[in-house]
Amino acid sequence: MYSAFGIVNPSGRQFWVEGLEDYRPIGAISFMGRYRVIDFPISNLSNSGIDRIQVYIKRKPMSLTDHLGTGRHYNINSKRGRLQILFSENTAEHDIYNTDIASYIDNMESIKRMHHPYVVIAPSYMVYKADYSALIANHVESGADITMMYHSVDNAKENHLNCNVLNLNRQKGVLSIEPNHGTAKSRNIFMDTYVMKTELFIDLVQKAKAVSSMYTMADIINDSCSELDIRGVAHRGFFATITDFESYYNANMSLINIKTAMELFNEDWPIYTRTNDSCPTQYFENADVKKSVVSNGCLIEGSVENSIIGRGCVIKKDAVVKNSIVLAGAVVGEGVHVENQVVDKRAQLIHVKEVVAAPDKPGYIRREDTL
Amino acid sequence: MKQNNMLAMILAGGRGSRLHDLTNKVAKPAVSYGGKYRIIDFPLSNCANSGIDVVGVLTQYESILLNSYVAAGRRWGLDAKDSGVYVLPPREKADENLNVYRGTADAISQNIDFIDSYAPEHVLILSGDHIYKMNYAKMLAEHNANNADATIAVIEVPKKEASRFGIMNTDEEGHIIEFEEKPEHPKSNLASMGIYIFNWKSLRKLLVADIKNPDSHHDFGKDIIPAMLAEQKVLYAYKFKGYWKDVGTIDSLWEANMDLLDANNALDLNDSTWKIYTEDATTLPQYIGENADIKRAFITQGCVVDGDVENSVLFTGSKVRSGAVVMDSVLMPGAVVEEGAIIHRALIAEGVHIGKNAVVGRADSENIELVAKRVKGEE
Repeated sequence: MYSAFGIVNPSGRQFWVEGLEDYRPIGAISFMGRYRVIDFPISNLSNSGIDRIQVYIKRKPMSLTDHLGTGRHYNINSKRGRLQILFSENTAEHDIYNTDIASYIDNMESIKRMHHPYVVIAPSYMVYKADYSALIANHVESGADITMMYHSVDNAKENHLNCNVLNLNRQKGVLSIEPNHGTAKSRNIFMDTYVMKTELFIDLVQKAKAVSSMYTMADIINDSCSELDIRGVAHRGFFATITDFESYYNANMSLINIKTAMELFNEDWPIYTRTNDSCPTQYFENADVKKSVVSNGCLIEGSVENSIIGRGCVIKKDAVVKNSIVLAGAVVGEGVHVENQVVDKRAQLIHVKEVVAAPDKPGYIRREDTL
Repeated sequence: MKQNNMLAMILAGGRGSRLHDLTNKVAKPAVSYGGKYRIIDFPLSNCANSGIDVVGVLTQYESILLNSYVAAGRRWGLDAKDSGVYVLPPREKADENLNVYRGTADAISQNIDFIDSYAPEHVLILSGDHIYKMNYAKMLAEHNANNADATIAVIEVPKKEASRFGIMNTDEEGHIIEFEEKPEHPKSNLASMGIYIFNWKSLRKLLVADIKNPDSHHDFGKDIIPAMLAEQKVLYAYKFKGYWKDVGTIDSLWEANMDLLDANNALDLNDSTWKIYTEDATTLPQYIGENADIKRAFITQGCVVDGDVENSVLFTGSKVRSGAVVMDSVLMPGAVVEEGAIIHRALIAEGVHIGKNAVVGRADSENIELVAKRVKGEE
């Protein structure tokens, strides 16, 4: 076991999950009913034995800080471990200066106080399972300066747009990093996950800052490809990037299939989240639920198909919920038909009876809205 | 101890032998209930929600699981400074040999030193194996308003069943004038719920005397309450209205689970102002498959259902495969019903596998079938 601390990063300015992100950063968006997106990277770190974790927040901190709390629920050691929330005040929402480097500079004192020789950086807007202790061991053994995780995909023309792509040589050496502009099908999508020495990390942050105020960590690493030994490590299993509304919707929907879900969830690799102490879900006489993922605390009288239902939702008699993601505490009233929608928290769909969007363009219902 | 100067002691040492195999390795308060809970979550959550900070849990029978379970006071929010859940099994003392708890009162007597260390004004005595929601702060307010030495919570039971309970006979103001343990001809239908508030000083005196009494059963109902009445102490009955269940048998445990299927059930576990807290399970949400048909069911996280489930309660991580039928049954944590198996009126114990096409229980059986061992199906 090598000693490392973890950094969990918010997304860069190129990503925006329409609607949902108006209220919270991507990491705090509900995922699969009972989770938030950020539960995945933090659980990966915790399960990998990393219990000093820095979570960076750039905007709308309330929902995320509320969810993270002391971090106790992530099973990190309550004395030696710590989940630290670092807020970067100098970066505005869509500002060009809004980079990961800017957040690190803002919090450089906290980074320098970390005595761990290695750092693992993971994004709060990607969903996957990975054992970072194996990644670190691989990194140390290979003697590389930086090890970057990537996932090979063959749908890069329509998916993972604006995510970074690693161009690799045959020995998995990183030749360059460039954004995915959807020009080729097969790509090695960079998972914004890397391991390096803390020393080198600090050095790169300062270098990036000196080169350009707009530079990101990926930019400075790209510049360093010829001087440094940078290697890629392939990831296998479930992988989703939550970078816009469509990818959010698709990532959730794909996990309704339990076989797909088993690639992500594993009893030996628990995904932790904050408990809400909701009671089990009540299915009534006329309930008709098929092919769906349901959280606790719901009251279901109507029909639900191919959908994800968050905690404490109420689906009334003769209501139909289809191909939709319903977030915690929402109410679908009697006889209301909801199809191809993402219904944000505590929305009340009660007066209008048809809330249906086209299958290829799912709709969004605002938080606490009444329809 | 600051909030209301009352300390709670939960009696959790009982085996509950009529629960058969369910309590072979765990005490009755640790038995699973209601999908995601253990029975002792109810008194513990009630304490936390009533503003009681210090809770002693008296354990004795098969206590390994129970001791570690309740010691994590954080689960119920009982972990602030000056707050905590204390596990109190019998212990050896400097001037005394190790003695088992001989009765409910003896369990408290053997922990007089623990209670003294908090110097509470009142002590609340609870059972670890009852299912109910109750605000003990309200009961304490009544106890104080009555200037009582002891207040006993009572619930109205049907007259014809009254002879199964300890019955309180009261005057119009609720002043207890007589206590009868399981009377043949009950004079009232106010049954003791085994929930007592005592002024610690007066209870302490009685306990010290009780230890020395060779004829005593060292029991609250049989000895302490009658002794208080004999001494003309002021005892009041506190009338509780609501859901209360002592699940003594497999049938009654099954029934208490079935009660949850009624939309208007009085226990109302969905009430966000009085949540019942429990261990946090790190499992997936419920996965409902395309072949599932679920009617009147109470299902919790970690369950995977692809068969028919009707009138049943599914506990954490239980699974019903496609083509299986689960009717009028309870699947305890991790129970698995394989493809094509049919289950009627049964309680499937924790982690038990029901094999392919196996048939368990009958729709018209008088009693509930407890299945505590694997049922082999077709291979």
